[in-house]
Order: sequence, then structure tokens, then C-alpha cells
Amino acid sequence: MSTLAPSAPHDLTQVRPLRSRLMPYALLAPAVLVTLFIVFFPMVQAVVTSFYDLVLWKPNASRFVGFGNYIKLLHDPVFWTSLGHTAIWIGLTVPLQMGLGLVAALLLNREFPWRGLARALVIIPWALPSVVIALMWRWIYDPTTGVLNDILLYLSIIHSTVPWLADPHLALYAVIATLTWQGFPFFAVMILAGLQGIPQSQYEAASIDGASTWRQFVHITLPGIAPVLATAGLLRIIWVANSMDVIFVMTGGGPGYATHTLPLYAFIKARQNLDFGYGTAIAVTFTILLGAIVAVYIVRTMREVER
Amino acid sequence: MSILKKLGISCAFMAGLAVSAANAAETVRFWYHFDNPENPMSDLVAKFEAKNPDIKIEAENVPWNSYYDNLYTSLVGGNAPDAGMVKLFAQPRLAEMGALEPIGDRINAWPGKADLLDNLLELNKGPDGQQYYLPIQYVVLYLYYRADLFKAAGLNPPVTCEDFRTAAQKLTKAPDTYGFGLRGGKGGWDQWGTFVFSQGAELKPGGLTNPEAVAANQWVIDLFQKDKVIPPSAPNDGFQEIVAAFKAGKTAMTIHHIGSSNDLVKALGDKVSAVPAPKCGGKQWTSYGDESLAIFSSSQVKDAAWKWISFLAEGENNVAFNKATGQMTVTKSGSEHWTLHERRFVDATVQSLPFAHVLPQSTATAEFVNTAWQTSMQQALTGQITSQQMMQQLESLFAQ
Repeated sequence: MSTLAPSAPHDLTQVRPLRSRLMPYALLAPAVLVTLFIVFFPMVQAVVTSFYDLVLWKPNASRFVGFGNYIKLLHDPVFWTSLGHTAIWIGLTVPLQMGLGLVAALLLNREFPWRGLARALVIIPWALPSVVIALMWRWIYDPTTGVLNDILLYLSIIHSTVPWLADPHLALYAVIATLTWQGFPFFAVMILAGLQGIPQSQYEAASIDGASTWRQFVHITLPGIAPVLATAGLLRIIWVANSMDVIFVMTGGGPGYATHTLPLYAFIKARQNLDFGYGTAIAVTFTILLGAIVAVYIVRTMREVER
Repeated sequence: MSILKKLGISCAFMAGLAVSAANAAETVRFWYHFDNPENPMSDLVAKFEAKNPDIKIEAENVPWNSYYDNLYTSLVGGNAPDAGMVKLFAQPRLAEMGALEPIGDRINAWPGKADLLDNLLELNKGPDGQQYYLPIQYVVLYLYYRADLFKAAGLNPPVTCEDFRTAAQKLTKAPDTYGFGLRGGKGGWDQWGTFVFSQGAELKPGGLTNPEAVAANQWVIDLFQKDKVIPPSAPNDGFQEIVAAFKAGKTAMTIHHIGSSNDLVKALGDKVSAVPAPKCGGKQWTSYGDESLAIFSSSQVKDAAWKWISFLAEGENNVAFNKATGQMTVTKSGSEHWTLHERRFVDATVQSLPFAHVLPQSTATAEFVNTAWQTSMQQALTGQITSQQMMQQLESLFAQ
């Protein structure tokens, strides 16, 4: 809409009949209505719910508590633990996925036999449902029957089996490794597309000027794919932050609170303990925090990219 | 045009048929949870529908791990089934939600009542003294052990907790075999109860933090941390993992009920046997695993739902039902010629009945069973909190 109005000459807008002026709004209306109904309405309802003491199996004891749930949240040690885990979760998973995706994309951009097949196969982890991936890795990590311990024992790297998911110091990182594996193809494919958009002539010019491969990478490849990295990174931060299905299937948040992230904590509180007031308070708090991070990210990276 | 007209008329006719068919047959939506992949529910449904042509049964197998999450939310969301499988620990919550339909009068008028095993209805009574639950099956937890490994080590099946610990230590050859398969994940509270509830712990204020209870809990934690007779994966292990480890010979003992016996015999044959849970500090405690059927108060077809659930609790139907779940029938006629399990497991079950208990019927019990026990047990097993702290966390649930 904003592109329509200014581009139209001034005198034309005045003679245009009402019907055609309303046209863009009419076309937008269905999408706006659906979004209002399925996104904003539940969001507003979540905010309202978070001001209530609402436990599902005590329907008669529900009452308005104002910011009570939020005050309780600030004094809840599990909230702070989960917040710390969420920071590690996003801070490790997204860069690891991006790094692995970049390496994979650079490899796939080279000429080698069966390249088409390799490009198709690399997408598999991304295409599998999260629950399948979580179960698969649960079995890989299993201390009694899992293949990972088997290999490490065989190579004499470890001397007794490691309970990857049952050790509170390892469990979160084990799940992060799984999610990195699942998510890197997304980056690989996006970056590959970006790589193919860089004109070959730039590399030719650089090599005539005597630039090494590394300098070509830093000064041509990276700037060439920067917009892709920024956008894909933003999307992944949001997705990874919100994703809890893999953690839920692999550890259920345990052992203890060792793999609790905020979305998982909200889910467990609301769905398993049926404490919807407190659960939505966690969810709303997390939305605000994530929104703030995303806003800062957009402002900073977009400025970098446009420079 | 005439073709269109004809089409329209026939469509309207079909729609009318569909509506009248729906009116004639009442549909009962029924929720159950079977672990067993060989599920004979469709046979039972077919048999029932042949007898009651005006009732249609929509039976849905809901996965156990999220059974109650789904049930509570569907009740609140107004999309609850008409009837379903329910356990005692959920009864206080369901009653508080007003979700249960009293069925005492229906049971009294029902010819199958006399065939129910003694005392079951008494055990299943609601918190307000009303009858909401119709028993459908039961199990009692006991100790599975590898008879061959015990014999090779010159050991007898444990009678006391001291025997149990000694045997577990002797049978542990890490990392290949461990003495005991502890279920540290969801649903493991009933194994834990054998060692802790037997020594005076109770789910009430002051019942968990007394020195005896804390020491008993410490004893369990020590089995894992100090004696190392429990596989290192225990904090996350659920039912699948403990059974798989026992079948694979990774563990020499575990605690579960008769429901897994056929599966274990298939894998291990005569090498698996069972005895009642060991006596700790002179007292025995084991979990009475109940399962009942209930009608939900929101149902529009309560009469049809009652016909269906009472059908499942009758003699041979109940035996067929238990064939699927691998549990024990609640009928006297069915118990007489019980051939679904090997004798030694039935004996261990019957011998365990005198000291089998259910958890107290309070609303906090559901949270203890669903999430709280496993979270704090996992923290204690992995050394993040002490036994005392774990018991304090759990007791805080029962503070009111």
C-alpha cells in the first residue's frame, strides 16, 4: 500500500473512484482478519490469562491476581535456570548451525561428481520430523544400547559408557548437538543460493590482482552472502528459541531441570501441571525478551548489511 | 439441467439418510491406553456393536505419556470423551473438576456386580464416598529377577532390602550388567515406594522429611551414586528403557508388574522369575496398580456409555481386555481359569496383595505422580540436591 500511494500522481488520486481506492484494503482484509483471529486474539488472551491464578483442575478457584504471576516468576529459581539454558541454547545452536551450514555450502558449491545427489541428501536432517530426529538421537546416545558409546569405547576415547542424556552437565549440550545436526541444512541451502548469486567475474578479477583464496573468501564471498546470513540467522534465532519438541522428546526437560528452556518450562507448567496462569506468564515474559533481542538484532545486522 | 437437478435431489437424499443414521445410532467416544501393539479392542467393539446395533463405539488409543494431559484439557475444552480408562490418583482432581458421573446406582442394578472381586469397589470409592469408578483390571508390583544369574552367583532371591543390596552388588559387572534397573524417569515413583514408603514415608505434612524417610531415600540414591548397581542412564529411564535393559540382560533385577511378564518370558524364557518386593526395615510396601472405567459428566449418551463400560467389566470380555493389557482380571469367573500368565508371576502378584497400597487420594498426588517425583528424583540422583532437599520439595506439594 505504501508503495501505491506515493507513486500515484496527486491529481490522479483525487479523481479515482472510491471503489478502486478501497480495493487494496478489501484485498488485504481477509489476510488481516485471519491473522487477527488466529494470532492476535490468542496473544491478547494469553496476556489476560497471565493476570489470573488459573489452574485448570480448580475451575472454581480462578481469580484475578494482577502481576502476581510475574512477581512469583522473578522469585522462581527454575525460571532463572531456564533463562540461562535458553541463552546457551540459542547462543550455541544458531552459530554452530550457521558455521556447519557455511562449510557444507562451500563444499557443495565446488565441482565434484554426484554433486546433485549430495545437494539433495544434505537436506534430509531438515526434512525429517523433529520427533523422529529426537527418538533417533535418543537411541544413539543411549548408554546401554547406543551406537555413540559403542564407537567411543571401541576407539578407546572413553573407558566406561557415558550417560549423555542422564548427566545434568552433558544433557543440554547433547540436545544442542542434535539440533545443530537437524538445522544446519537450512543454512547450507540458503547460503548455497547466496553463493551462486556472486558473479564469477569478481573472483577472476581478485585472482588477477593476486588475492589469496582466504582473502577472496573474506572480501568477496562473505560480503556476497551477508544478507542471506542475516536473514537466515534471524529466522533461526526465532525458530530455535521457540523449539522445544526435540528437548521434550529427548529428555522431557530432565534430568531435574538440566534441559529446561523457557518455552519448555511454560509448556510443562501449562500442559502437564495445568497451571495456565503461571504458564502463560512465562510465555509472555519470554515473548517480550525474545522480541527485544530480535529488535536489537534487526537494527544492528541490517545496518551492517546495508553498509 | 435435469442432470443437475437429479444430482441435487440425490445429494439431499443421501444427506437425509446420513442424518437419520446418526440419529438412530448413538456414538460413544471411549479413550483407553494400551502399550501392547497387538490390540484386540476392535474385536471387543465389534462384539459389542453386534449385540447393541443402535450404539456405535469410537475407541481411541491415547498414548500413556500424555493420557492425562489430553484428558484434562479435553474436559476443560468441552471435547471430552464419553467414557475412558482412569486411575485412582486422578480421581480427586476429576471429582474437583466435576467431571465424573456417579455410577453407584447403575453398579447396584448391574448383574455383573456379584462377579467383581471382593473389596475392589470399596478401594475405588471417590473422595466424597460416591462411586465413580468401575474397576477393569489390576496389577501389583513385584520384583523381577534373573533366576539363572542368581543361581550362578549362588544367591537366593532377596527377602530383605539388605539381601537386595548385596545381591545387586554381586551381580553388577559394569558396564555389561547392573544389579537393578531403576526407573528414574516418568512413572518410577512406585519402584521408589518399595524402598521409601516401606520405611515410614507418607505423602502428608511431615511424612517425607522425617529422618527415617530421608535416610531411606538416601539409601536409594546411594545404590546409584555409591554402590553403582544401577545403570548410569537411570535418571532418564522410563518403562521402555527398564524393560529393554532387563530383556537384553543389562540388568539382573527390576520392579514392575505382571503386565510385562509375557514379553519378558518371550525374551528370557525360564531365566526370568519373580518374588514379592523386598522387606525394608521390617515392613513391605508395594504399589497396587489400579485401572477403572468412568463416565464423564459432560456425556450426552450416558446410558449407552454405561452399557459399553459394564460390558468390558463382565467375565469373558474382561478377560479379553486383559489379554491386551497383560494385567489381571477383576472378575471372579475370569480369575478361576486364568491362563494368560505363567503361574510364578500370578503367585508373586497374589503374595504381594496383602501389603499393596494406593497413594492417598488428594489433589496433590496427581502432581507428585505426573511431574514432581521424577524431577526431584533426577536432581537427587545426579547430585544436584540432597536427599533432604528432595524430600522437602516433595513434601511442599502436600503442605495444604
